[in-house]
Amino acid sequence: MTISMKLSPPITLSESAVSQIGSPQNQAPQPRSWLFRFWRKPFFLLVILPSLIAAFYYYAIAAPQYVSEARFVVHSRGNDGGLQAAAMRAAAGAALGGLGGGASSSETNSIRDFLSSLDAVMQADEKLDLVALWRRPEADFLAQLWFTEPERLARFYNQMVSVALDPSTSVTTLRVRSFRPEDSKELAETLLGAAETLVNRLSERIRNDTLQAARYEVEISERRVQQSSTALIRFREQEKELDSAGAVQAAVVLRGQFEGSLAQARAELTERLQFMRPDNPALQATRNRIEALERQIAAERSRHTDTTSPLGGAILASQLAEYERLMLEREFSNKQLASATAGLEVARMEAQRQQLYLSRIVQPNLAVYALYPRKIINVASIFLGLAIAYGIGRLLIVGMREHAS
Amino acid sequence: MSLRGEVALVLRGARMQRRVIGALIIREMHTRFGRHYFGYIWLFFEPLLLGTCIGLIHLLRDSPSTFGPFEFYAIGYVVYFIFRGIINRASSAITGNIGLLYHRTITLPDIFFARHIIETVSVTGVLVVFLFVLFAINGDFPENPTKIALAMIGMALLSQGIALVAAAATEAVEGIERGIHAITYLALPVCGMFFLVEWLPDWLQELALYIPTVHIFELLRDGQFGSRFRAHYDISYVMGWIMVTHLIGLAALRITRQRIGLE
Repeated sequence: MTISMKLSPPITLSESAVSQIGSPQNQAPQPRSWLFRFWRKPFFLLVILPSLIAAFYYYAIAAPQYVSEARFVVHSRGNDGGLQAAAMRAAAGAALGGLGGGASSSETNSIRDFLSSLDAVMQADEKLDLVALWRRPEADFLAQLWFTEPERLARFYNQMVSVALDPSTSVTTLRVRSFRPEDSKELAETLLGAAETLVNRLSERIRNDTLQAARYEVEISERRVQQSSTALIRFREQEKELDSAGAVQAAVVLRGQFEGSLAQARAELTERLQFMRPDNPALQATRNRIEALERQIAAERSRHTDTTSPLGGAILASQLAEYERLMLEREFSNKQLASATAGLEVARMEAQRQQLYLSRIVQPNLAVYALYPRKIINVASIFLGLAIAYGIGRLLIVGMREHAS
Repeated sequence: MSLRGEVALVLRGARMQRRVIGALIIREMHTRFGRHYFGYIWLFFEPLLLGTCIGLIHLLRDSPSTFGPFEFYAIGYVVYFIFRGIINRASSAITGNIGLLYHRTITLPDIFFARHIIETVSVTGVLVVFLFVLFAINGDFPENPTKIALAMIGMALLSQGIALVAAAATEAVEGIERGIHAITYLALPVCGMFFLVEWLPDWLQELALYIPTVHIFELLRDGQFGSRFRAHYDISYVMGWIMVTHLIGLAALRITRQRIGLE
């Protein structure tokens, strides 16, 4: 103390001796003057002072913000969708010389998009009252929620809630900040719940989409089977015939018998003519039988095959055609039903495979230490930014001044 | 000197500087394109032609995707043209205009500002022409023109910062200008003009986001077709680059001015 007191006079003397030529009244007390001059410097006013204010805010006023973090994975057991994204990646890979791309499923992306959307905000707001949550009494004026309109709430929400997807592991990290540890945890829990609901809904939807086509196919073939069997029943009722194929068989057999009898009768006639006179009355009975058989055969033939017959009633030939068509239809429809049922089974297995589910890796934690606001980083970046801006501004202004001189 | 006097001096200087830059713009146009009016058209024609060519090549070659290849590459190239134009000319700016420094009112940054204004204005004009022609043909307008304008401004400022540093470096170290030309060519595939960050594999995405122009191109594409992809950009990162390069560049030019003055 004493040394400095002794040393200082000569310095002030010499300095004042120099400056006395210009301004003799410049006799401000020396220890104060350094600080005083610095106080008036633009660098202090524009850089240091704002940084100090920021530091004061962050260290003295700012309310601690607690982070709750949760991690989850969306599993899909099927092939991942996003064909288009894959194609894009392939195109880019080709352009860059065949660099492989990591796959991140479209479901994970959609969950991330959901969690930063207005929909998620509104769902969380319904359960938790976000406005109150971010306007707790302990929240400081600057950091708290200012505007409560849904869109602006969503903007604030996106500042306080971050959803990050690590594409290489497809683990999604959800980080929630608020002014109380319990609030953060609760909000994180609510958001995870909403995401789980969404995943279940998506999964349900995928399953239904896969099954729907197969179910429709089964329904159609069932109806066809039913129609064919009713048509067959109606045909049988109408024709009073159980089995047209059998009837034809019977008719053919009958005709064969007739033909046989006829041949037999003719042979008998020929045989008798060998030793009987043609006008022998014994022959008449045989002749009559032949005639009757011939008439019978003609009648049978026309009954079965003559489509021009005026005698109403179904002709056996056309009846048989109709019957065979119906039988064929029944066979086809049965086969179709069988294959559709098998398809439904496959689709059901596919749906089982494509099921989505959200599995939590890290449960939302209850913070103990307030990680936010990040005091040192924020103050340092404010200082650095202002200092660089000051430097540029100073260089520009000096440049301008040069033009005036 | 009082604060008011100081402000008046600076304002007078600013007015003077504006006139100097205006005069330098006219002079630059004359030296680059000659005195006939057709020369000025070339200023717009060059980016227009190159952009159209690149766009057409990709239109014919690429399979159709969610983005029109012409919009994607032509407009991307036009924005890249600012970068290329400004930085390639940076190394010759001082040696080409050293005679001007005999006038006390002309400072080194003025020469750069004048050139960069010419480049930016011409390319902005071309960009507007492209946007309107595409609107007339396809009927789809960019989703957010403000973002496109921001990307243009960001690209111009970033290029200016890099150009200032490059010019000072050229003056300080012999032979660096060849390296700068090579760098602008090599930068073409990595600057973000040909790809979206989304298309890259994950490990490359992180690396790509260290390049400031990638952020600018992402911003541009976000303005063009923001709802069709997921843009990755951080404006504050680009701002940081712009500020740091400007600080270094302007300070380095002051040193350069003194060095030149001694010769």
